[in-house]
Amino acid sequence: MSLVTVNIDDKSYEAKENSLLIDLLILHDIKVPYFCYHESLGADGNCRMCMVEIEGKKRPQIACDTFVSDGMSIQTASEKISSVRKRILELELINHPVDCPICDQAGECKLQDYYMDFGLYDSNIDMKEKVHNKKHIALGSSVILDRERCVLCTRCVRFTSNITKSGELGVINRGDKACISTVPGMKLDNPYAMNVVDLCPVGALTSKEFRFAQRVWFLKSTPSICHGCSTGCNIFIDHNQEKYKEDKIYRIRPRKNREVNGDFICDYGRLSYKNLQENRQQELLNKSNVISYEDALLELNSKISGSKNIVILVDANLYNEDIAAISNFSQKIGAKLVCPTECYFDDSFGDDWLKSDYKCANLQAIKNYKIDSLFSSDQQIDLLINFNHPSFSKFSSKQSVEFSTHKGSSAELVLAIPAYSEYSGTTINDANIEQYSQKAITTDVATISEYLSDLSKVAL
Amino acid sequence: MIILEDKKIVSSKFHIENSHTLSVAKEHGTYSSIERLFTLSSEEIIAIIKESHLRGKGGGGAPAGNKWALMPLGELKPSFLAVNCDESEPGTFKDREIISKDPHLLIEGIICTCFAIKSHTAYIYVRGEYKEFSNILQSAIDEAYEAGYLGENIFNKGYKLDVIVHRGAGAYICGEKSALLESLEGKRGHPRVKPHQQECEWYFDNPTLVNNVETIASVPFIVKNGADAYKEFGTSSSPGTLLFAMSGHVNKPGVYESEFGICMMDYINHYGGGIKNGKKLKAIIPGGASTKILTADEVGLAKLDYETMKALGSSLGTGGMIVMDEDTNMVEALKNLLEFYHHESCGQCTPCREGTGWVDTIMQNLLDGVARGEDIEKILEISKTMNGQTICVFAPAVSDVIDGFITKFRSEFESYVREDLT
Ligand SMILES: Cc1cc2nc3c(=O)[nH]c(=O)nc-3n(C[C@H](O)[C@H](O)[C@H](O)COP(=O)(O)O)c2cc1C
Ligand code: SF4
Ligand code: SF4
Ligand code: SF4
Ligand code: FES
Repeated sequence: MSLVTVNIDDKSYEAKENSLLIDLLILHDIKVPYFCYHESLGADGNCRMCMVEIEGKKRPQIACDTFVSDGMSIQTASEKISSVRKRILELELINHPVDCPICDQAGECKLQDYYMDFGLYDSNIDMKEKVHNKKHIALGSSVILDRERCVLCTRCVRFTSNITKSGELGVINRGDKACISTVPGMKLDNPYAMNVVDLCPVGALTSKEFRFAQRVWFLKSTPSICHGCSTGCNIFIDHNQEKYKEDKIYRIRPRKNREVNGDFICDYGRLSYKNLQENRQQELLNKSNVISYEDALLELNSKISGSKNIVILVDANLYNEDIAAISNFSQKIGAKLVCPTECYFDDSFGDDWLKSDYKCANLQAIKNYKIDSLFSSDQQIDLLINFNHPSFSKFSSKQSVEFSTHKGSSAELVLAIPAYSEYSGTTINDANIEQYSQKAITTDVATISEYLSDLSKVAL
Repeated sequence: MIILEDKKIVSSKFHIENSHTLSVAKEHGTYSSIERLFTLSSEEIIAIIKESHLRGKGGGGAPAGNKWALMPLGELKPSFLAVNCDESEPGTFKDREIISKDPHLLIEGIICTCFAIKSHTAYIYVRGEYKEFSNILQSAIDEAYEAGYLGENIFNKGYKLDVIVHRGAGAYICGEKSALLESLEGKRGHPRVKPHQQECEWYFDNPTLVNNVETIASVPFIVKNGADAYKEFGTSSSPGTLLFAMSGHVNKPGVYESEFGICMMDYINHYGGGIKNGKKLKAIIPGGASTKILTADEVGLAKLDYETMKALGSSLGTGGMIVMDEDTNMVEALKNLLEFYHHESCGQCTPCREGTGWVDTIMQNLLDGVARGEDIEKILEISKTMNGQTICVFAPAVSDVIDGFITKFRSEFESYVREDLT
């Protein structure tokens, strides 16, 4: 496809011939209001907000249905366009409750942004004349619809018809009584259902989990990689530390990556943040007694020195940096390093879209380090050191040490480690793409690398 | 009074008893174009239709031949014909006459059209409420199958053709051709965004032609008698005839075919027997509810052809005239129409979905005596926003209707305004 030059607001831009004008405007951060267009869902042309002026065309055109051609000249901010947009927005607001102070979307709502831009604070019709509608409809087990706030952009409907092809949602009734509904006999409960909450440009769709939990402007978003399965969907971890409280994750949202997950994630991954902050191991324990970091290292050192046959288990969710350090350590102490992978396999989880059959984030690194995935031995294990592998309890050994994110370990020596959201590192997904997760939550717990490097000092 | 000569192409059998049955229809010439049809090639038939300047009779007046020529013939994909009998616009009630009084003429037209565009399946999309008319049409189709005029090997010419009647669920918007096809595909009747180039319509991604019932019913005459015979009727740019119709304050409301180009008033007087109760004419909506209203003065200048009506700032539309006498309350008349549009907007586009409801609300306020002068301006402003910024022409048509009423009869609207309101 050849490149063409187009002129937007008297500046030149290059674009692929016949590409969509709205994509170009979005790419260059040129302000254009829109509700219905979405890169992953395509154009539908229903909101009529993305109007621009194109030289040679009598009427304003919608940018989501305009294909660029060489020499095209576009105005996005002329007086004519502003007034058209303002008038359409005014119509959009006519039946909207404008109840932003009690709306979850406030702060990330396109309607709110636009009417602030246009100074349309008060919508033009008395409350009594507005078409009133139901404000709390459970579409499924996790998504709530407020019909009064809906702008009928049909993004949610198109998600279920074009992306998941499950078709749970549709529009019913006509004109200003048109509204979103589930198809009779169906519920919005597919494994990707909650993506409609992100897609909804206004506060019409909310997640039961997140509703009223936090004002979005208090949240910090940290880029990370979901550890739910080996697809490695790109996510934002949204968290906030309220005064005198712990830093807490409020939600996980998809982060766009065309090569991996596009704009979406599965509900399992989205809700996996709960497990990241429940039942967490915080202390270092020796035979159930809390001990200091130094004592823990000494204890570990003495266990290693007194054992001959040592086996190390490593979890396929750890970062590359951890696995490298563990692999080194294993060689140094002459241990046998294994990662049984069968416990991650679940073909009822995987599908032909995002979800993969292996519910771990870094299987590829286990393969790259040629770590055995099967383990059998007739010899008695003297010392078993587990780095958070879920199959620990299946092994028996004379002595055991466990580096663990969660409570419930039966090892004699238990060493708390952070969850992936609490430190930075890289993972390699099943398409062999190496990806970086940034530390979102602060914790005092030492990382595996810290333990191992401090241990080598003790051992000296 | 001027006496008009009857010129009939599609209504010639309407007065005959049992004209809807195959035997009677055949006796009076239906299916007589078939002989010639099968001596012609697709290209030849399309050329004849082009040459005849037959224009679409569903409201737009698009040249039918040009539309047919957009069908990609010889493609590997099957092609389809969808006959538009959704006829749901107030003031338009002509197609039901054809399907109930001469359904075999429509079937004959479908055979000619499908043979020309190499289609083996035609759908007739009938307005949901037309149950009885649809039953008559279906019996005629059954008879045609029985006689071997439809089915595997029609007229023993080795051509297969199936005709399927599909009744809509009662939505005006399903008359819009792309919404009709969405509906036929089993989806919600939402008009599609218009393509950037001229192209045919698509039914499940297969090339499809959508024509009005009367357009298709005009085809046999042209196939049989040639393009020149058709052009003998009407004017040079609006050739042929149309099933014009009248409703409202006339003595003999109804459907009467006439050639294009005659004076509107002559038509009203000749076929409609003039205005009821000897009253004076106030206004006429000329071509179904969605065309711009004409004042009595404008009606005096109006001729029933596409060009003159356009010059008057309105359009011929479907030729369904709504006649209003001097006692008509224009505010109530517009309110009546806006209730219809409010109810029928498909609701996709913001300006139409919200605009039709809002103007209806303001009109109610006006009638209730709780509107102010600026509310009339507000209606005009909303109307402007509805014009030219939507997916289909429903909203622009509503805008034209509003503009026509308010600009031409503004004082009546102003008489309802209450300036003492705070
Ligand atoms: C809102 C709307 C309603 C329409 N309803 C009808 C209808 O009931 N019947 C019809 O033939 N055309 C209707 N049309 C026009 C069709 O879209 C289409 O142009 C027509 O069927 C083409 O046939 P023709 O070229 O033979 O006229 C409607 C258009 C719009 C915008
Ligand atoms: S619920 Fe949200 S996404 Fe769905 S149509 Fe309404 S505004 Fe659009
Ligand atoms: S598909 Fe896998 S990586 Fe993606 S969100 Fe779901 S669990 Fe996480
Ligand atoms: S203009 Fe009105 S009827 Fe036409 S597509 Fe838009 S909302 Fe539907
Ligand atoms: S984004 Fe273009 S019409 Fe909605």
